[in-house]
Amino acid sequence: MIEAIRTQAHNLLENKEIDVVIGYGNGSDPTRTTPVFIRKPEEVNRLIFDPRCINSLPVYLNKRQGYPKKGWKRVGIIGKGCDIRAITQLIAENQLSRDEVYIFGVPCDGVVSHFSKWDGSLRDDNRATKCSECDVHIPNDCDFFPGERPEVDRSGPYKVSAPQVLNLFNLKTDKRFKFWEKEFERCFKCYACREVCPHCSCNICITDRTTPNWIDQAPHTKGVFGWHLTRALHLVGRCTGCGECTRACPVDIQVDLFNQRMKDVVQGSFGYKSGYSETEKPPLITYMTDDSENFIQ
Amino acid sequence: MKTATLNQTDIGKCLDLLLQSEFRVIAPQLRPRLESPDAIDVMMLTQIDSGENHAVGQGVLPLNGVKEFLFVKDEPLFAFENKGKKVLMTEVHHDYPKTVIFGVRPCDAASVSSQNAVFSKANAGFEDPFFTKRLENTTIVTYSCTNPDMSCFCTSVGLAPDSDRGSDLHLTEIPGNRLQVEPKTPAGEIVAKILEPLFQWPGEPQARTQAGKEAQDKITRIRNSHLIKGWLDELSNFDDELWERLGEKCIGCGACTFMCPTCHCFDIVDENRGGKGYRIKFWDSCQFDHFTLHASGHNPRDSQYKRYRNRFSCKFKIYLDKFDAQGCVGCGRCIRDCPVNLDITEYMKEVDLKASLPNALQRDPDFE
Repeated sequence: MIEAIRTQAHNLLENKEIDVVIGYGNGSDPTRTTPVFIRKPEEVNRLIFDPRCINSLPVYLNKRQGYPKKGWKRVGIIGKGCDIRAITQLIAENQLSRDEVYIFGVPCDGVVSHFSKWDGSLRDDNRATKCSECDVHIPNDCDFFPGERPEVDRSGPYKVSAPQVLNLFNLKTDKRFKFWEKEFERCFKCYACREVCPHCSCNICITDRTTPNWIDQAPHTKGVFGWHLTRALHLVGRCTGCGECTRACPVDIQVDLFNQRMKDVVQGSFGYKSGYSETEKPPLITYMTDDSENFIQ
Repeated sequence: MKTATLNQTDIGKCLDLLLQSEFRVIAPQLRPRLESPDAIDVMMLTQIDSGENHAVGQGVLPLNGVKEFLFVKDEPLFAFENKGKKVLMTEVHHDYPKTVIFGVRPCDAASVSSQNAVFSKANAGFEDPFFTKRLENTTIVTYSCTNPDMSCFCTSVGLAPDSDRGSDLHLTEIPGNRLQVEPKTPAGEIVAKILEPLFQWPGEPQARTQAGKEAQDKITRIRNSHLIKGWLDELSNFDDELWERLGEKCIGCGACTFMCPTCHCFDIVDENRGGKGYRIKFWDSCQFDHFTLHASGHNPRDSQYKRYRNRFSCKFKIYLDKFDAQGCVGCGRCIRDCPVNLDITEYMKEVDLKASLPNALQRDPDFE
């Protein structure tokens, strides 16, 4: 499979149809992979794909991460189905236009949940949870696919999040608060959850604004809650559930529990699934004059 | 005091004895795992209230270093409020409890002297009393490593799995499920005196040296670091091509700096809490884009690879020039916790290569 992608990437780079391929390469340890930027056709053999390829690469298509400052006109990017959903969402939010990217879709059986759990094979006990509820093992939009791309019916019923999400949100408010207070004790606001997110695209994040100081900057209870709740709310209806925020958290706080819950709420209230359509706008960044809520009229 | 030995199974009793002596005791503990297949086992240095359920000597090293117990992640410096037409400034009460941090890994213990160099008058020229008072009341009991992992690289920066730098009382596993106990400082002697009922004499220095050697052999990430400083001193290397090539994948989160036991940067902010103002010191990171942002709008480190260049230079040059202390202790946290596998030892490898072969821009074909 990767051979076909390497050949295609080689041809496109040689014909200068794309300026770079953002893909996965071997990392500094046998259990890890790392994002690579391939600019020369002869470097395409560095590209790999296997269940260690956890990273969501569309983060590099985010303007905040320097794109397209580098002078790239068209970017080739290797995408698992979930990553391509993130790209679609960026396009829906006018952060990117479809002709700026060339998507190499890869069929994916799931990725490992954490690099420390990789021992050479992917099983149920080390597969990331997001992969078990995934309906884009075969990507739904790409410019190149190795081999024949089977048609997949994605109209089936929406799969709600893992049971622990619901269990947590069914707790009484004070218990739920205690749970998060305990978890957030460890947070020191390194903002890894923000930086790995393909959808955190503000040039200046609200937490970095100091006049006025909307959210306390210091990592005490109030400052940490302020940050995480704001982050969760800013991603409502936009998060595509890649789970990078939880994976990147150096103190292992499962911050994507918020996002998973919000995903269920948005689906229930608006019937909206993020990352499947380039034209349909996320419900919370649009409005209708015939909205059933009268406060908006 | 002479060296002694201790049964490994008595560690819980040691912790209980210290708690009875009215020390605040901090020791590694396994955090209960969340019910999620994605969760990983997390061991953290935590304040304990009993000797049960400790994880001293287990795993590679705790997630957090000793940093947060000395250089607290957020603390008020003073308070202020309006009194009539005047502004009244008041001190904020801080506790500096007598503390034993038990089961610290040697790399973390060594990092304390690096942080102390930044916060004490002798090296930095200015004293941070919050840090120095806490350190004064803290005793560090180290525990030699037995199973370093792939990310550990202490031997590349002049340390070892059994080194005792920064240690007050040093423990090393020796055969027969026992520990060699070596008091290193007067503070360590005091703790040893409390634990004495559990000791056996004499100590076994030979077995301890042997254990240290065995652990050292397990370290696989080995780099040459002695040429790095000279290379960084060369001004033209500030614009070398390697910085951008290696650093372009960095996404600019602060995970490496916050997890780093020697990173010490902080920010200061005024906060309003119920009509009273508080000036608060809290952890900051040189990896953030606004860290060096000037009021004019100019930013001398305007792209991410420049920020990582600063981090690397800080560890291997600035620390040595300014504070005469070691910048990197090789704990490997920045490698384990980096979401994009940006690896400080890859920089070390490439810089060493450039420093030893000046004109050859050789690239290792295996390196990504």
